[in-house]
Amino acid sequence: MLVLRRRAGESLFIGDDVEIEVLEVSAQGAKIGIRAPRETIVLRKELKLTQQQNEAAARGLTATDFEQAIQKLRG
Amino acid sequence: MPQIETKYFGTLPYGEGSTFEFPFGLPGFENEKQFVLIELEQHAPLVFLQSSLRKDLCFLAFPILVADRDYQLAVTPDDLRALDLNPTRQPELGREVLVLALVSLHDGLSATANLMAPIVINWKTRRALQAIRQDSRYSHQHPIRPRATEGAC
Repeated sequence: MLVLRRRAGESLFIGDDVEIEVLEVSAQGAKIGIRAPRETIVLRKELKLTQQQNEAAARGLTATDFEQAIQKLRG
Repeated sequence: MPQIETKYFGTLPYGEGSTFEFPFGLPGFENEKQFVLIELEQHAPLVFLQSSLRKDLCFLAFPILVADRDYQLAVTPDDLRALDLNPTRQPELGREVLVLALVSLHDGLSATANLMAPIVINWKTRRALQAIRQDSRYSHQHPIRPRATEGAC
């Protein structure tokens, strides 16, 4: 992972058109501003993980696998 | 009694009290705004969240204390407000809210529960949402071991 040190008010670019600015740093966390083209999707990581996890959970089971999996889950 | 077509159990009757509204859907499933909670004695403590809209969408879930008997809630004030709950304190498990961890099955049938983003249901209003934690205390892929699920309620 690339690690950079930035102070409040400083920013960096990812590619040509995504700019990340550190707006404020405090004990509660860092406030980040993002300037990006409208079509760029920006998601908090935990939301992205939840989305992916939900999709995995929804894939579910075929009826045949179901009984076997349930037995296993119930121990 | 109304009936619902389910993914795993054919058509089942359900009580009005087991229908929950998800005003925001779930991340990845934003259009699914209503689920029916299916609890079957032969599958306890596992429960099922069946989408009212899509027959083929049914989540497997454990009550959060079954997945981790020491689980500590950390629902954000915004989420608590959206659930019509007091935003200044955590709700009481069981009495005010039902909290479920969604289960994912992986290859070889190992299973994990999402403890990072539990489903929180307000019993009284039957409003529900997936409450994503802001801390990193719990994993979105908490391993479930068979038998670890026994004895908790």
